[in-house]
Amino acid sequence: MTHASGPSISRRSLVAGTAAFGLASAWEQQAQAAGRTRYVTANNNPYDILDPHQVFDIGRIAIRLNMYDALVRWVDNPPKLEMWLAEKVDISADGLTYTFTLRPNIKFHDGSALTAEDVVYSMERILGLKKGAYGLFSDVVKPGTTKALNERTVQFNLNKPFAVFMAVLSELWVVNSKVVKSKQKENDWGAEWLTRNEAGSGGYKLKRFDPAIGFQVERNTAHFMPFGKGAIDDADFRVSMETATRVLGMIKGEFNTTDGYMPAEQVERMKASGNVWFKEAESIRTFYFIMNHSKTPMNDVNIRRALCCMFDYDGFNNNILGGTVVRNPGIIPNPMWGAPKDLKGYSYDIDKAKWYLSQVREKIRTIQIGAMAGYPQSEQAAQMLQAGAAKAGLDIKVVAEPYTTIAPKLDDPDRAHDLVPLWRSAYFADPHNWTGFIFNSKNFKAGNASFYKNPRVDELTDQALVITDQEKRRPLYEEVSRILVDDAAGLFVNNTKFFGPYGKSVKSVRFCPIGDTQDIRWIEMNA
Amino acid sequence: MRLLVLALRRCLWMPPTLLGLTLIVFTVSHIIPADPARVLAGENAPIEQVEALRRKFGLDKPLPQQFVSYVADVVQGNMGVSLYTQRPVADDLVERLPATFELALFAMGLAILLGLPLGVVSALMRNSVLDHAVRLVTIAGLATAAFWLAILLQLLFSMELNLTPVQGRIDGWGPDPITGFYTVDALIRGDVDTFFSALRYLALPMMTLAIPAMATIVRFTRAGVLNVMSSNFVFYQAAMGLPRRVVIWKYILRSALIGTLTQIGLVFGNLLAGAVVVETVYSWPGLGTYAYNSILQSDYNAIMGFTLFTGSVFIAMNLLVDIAQAVLDPRGR
Repeated sequence: MTHASGPSISRRSLVAGTAAFGLASAWEQQAQAAGRTRYVTANNNPYDILDPHQVFDIGRIAIRLNMYDALVRWVDNPPKLEMWLAEKVDISADGLTYTFTLRPNIKFHDGSALTAEDVVYSMERILGLKKGAYGLFSDVVKPGTTKALNERTVQFNLNKPFAVFMAVLSELWVVNSKVVKSKQKENDWGAEWLTRNEAGSGGYKLKRFDPAIGFQVERNTAHFMPFGKGAIDDADFRVSMETATRVLGMIKGEFNTTDGYMPAEQVERMKASGNVWFKEAESIRTFYFIMNHSKTPMNDVNIRRALCCMFDYDGFNNNILGGTVVRNPGIIPNPMWGAPKDLKGYSYDIDKAKWYLSQVREKIRTIQIGAMAGYPQSEQAAQMLQAGAAKAGLDIKVVAEPYTTIAPKLDDPDRAHDLVPLWRSAYFADPHNWTGFIFNSKNFKAGNASFYKNPRVDELTDQALVITDQEKRRPLYEEVSRILVDDAAGLFVNNTKFFGPYGKSVKSVRFCPIGDTQDIRWIEMNA
Repeated sequence: MRLLVLALRRCLWMPPTLLGLTLIVFTVSHIIPADPARVLAGENAPIEQVEALRRKFGLDKPLPQQFVSYVADVVQGNMGVSLYTQRPVADDLVERLPATFELALFAMGLAILLGLPLGVVSALMRNSVLDHAVRLVTIAGLATAAFWLAILLQLLFSMELNLTPVQGRIDGWGPDPITGFYTVDALIRGDVDTFFSALRYLALPMMTLAIPAMATIVRFTRAGVLNVMSSNFVFYQAAMGLPRRVVIWKYILRSALIGTLTQIGLVFGNLLAGAVVVETVYSWPGLGTYAYNSILQSDYNAIMGFTLFTGSVFIAMNLLVDIAQAVLDPRGR
């Protein structure tokens, strides 16, 4: 029996095929427009909505920071709040009235003037949509109370003093009211249209958007704020969900940057390639365990203190996380004002943990930790605590669940886990973000996922909210920090360090923990 | 006539099959204790904001009522709105469809192009070194996890050999769509640069999907050819002096392909399912990444829409396969 002869690949066709690939590489290099800098970001969150008032998260903050402006803006590290659209503000003595004067001659991307009416509309829109940053304003600003006194003057009339109002105004992104109103359908506030389009005044304007890929912007050279010499001309914000792909893309040079909170081994891998440099900075993003105070025995301070002594902080921060974080004994990040500089916090001490356990009056059951599946640090921290607890004689069960499953449980004290290890990101740089927001008892089911209640903490955080003088607020938050540690209100582990990876063509980066360099106007590239 | 009856009978089975699929996926996705309204609102949102979103998306209604409403809407062509893109799910699916289909068709084409001849050759050279090597490779192809294979291919072809990009569908943003298939659109426009760029980006995801598909095709082709080779009519044709290549490629293959054809239909369905992982690794902007993000975010309407769509495609593909089988094998008509 003879064998059938199959097709053969000639040497010529093999060379031609390889050349086709090689030729395409050269075309890829030529594809960059001559003389313009192009910056490509790989993001691990999808960019599915362009509307700045429908989302309020860190994953999609690039949309808001680059295409929109607010009255104020956070810059640098430690973050400073700077006037942005507004050139000045007058705050009434009772802290109820904030009157902003806008800079002159600010234009939206379509060339129309940005006026006080646009600011009023933007606030009304947030309050009407009840999405995004609604929760930041809903308690203090009522619909219809924000006024445009003239073309450049806007006045906010609060129903109660709110010391962080200036800080949270960084999330009041101003949209072009005429354009958005013209696209309105059935009282949707133009939401359907603005989901896929933009109506901003920001440093960059939208060129192209595809929720499957990301979005593309070009520099708004008419922006009221000047750009640096090596400012980016064009930028692509692309979606890349797989960590390995983002890392390889950085090493190969397909991306100029990606997220700055990668696992330690990925950071080392990129460093070793020689193609990537890192911007290292202590951020304001604390990692801690939420403790559910509503259930026995977690409502006993002794078991909470015991748990705080069962966690090997040095082992976790220095060995497992490779020194990419900093020990943070309290909840307020170390660099923030309001964090006591002499706060000791808890240390790993099994003997002390056993002693605290012996003081617990109620019967001790198995404690359950709900780790966030898909977030290695959360899972590793849970296992770390479980290991320490075993040495102290306490049984801990770790259950890994996706965030979409954990999040609704945080609203229900009966369904919530006993502990949940997660991060508290900086939505605005004020100690209230880490204290009153998440530990004041008024915020059960609205930030206070611990169901923690301490009248003194409530009193101090309420008081701090009605004083506008930072130096008078500082000691209040320092006292709150000490109480939270003494009460073991949570198990406070570390403050994250930002390790932003950048390609060789990126010359400099000005880091701010609010936004994590996704505000690309502060990035300069080599020509 | 019998072919028509076959097709009609299969079409009649499609709605109850899809209804059953919808019920299963709806139940599984909704009984998991997730709350897309809370995730959509964010961790800082007050409970009133979360509840407003639940009411808006009908998530506060009893599950049976939600299911009936959903089915009633789908029957009228409305797959609902994605919680995250805020767009009709149908629009999202249509927009992403070309990317996935282009990838799946190229992968399928590669799998068939390599799989059929390899299966035949492996059968003809049974128990030879080549046969053993092919069988080893096919077992490895079937056993290898898609995401692991994808990363290995990235390391080899992108990083070591620098032949392909690591991720993406095309350099930049691609041509303005005509069909949505970048390769086809490039050829229509006569844009050779874009055509080859699209091929470069297709190479790795296509290989990742094609390798396990090819493995299945090789094995079934080999088994089919071995089975037919021992038939009397093959001995008769050889005895009649027909050239060997004619006996193999015209007569044996036609009979052997019947089983393989069935598998091709099933493999195409598996390709669509496998695309979820492969597209995520390669940042391929198709239905797979849409499904992945929808699952992570508990975007119920998007999950249901994706499932309904891929279920329909799977059923349609198998109908085509059955028709093709009936054409090839007169005994089935």
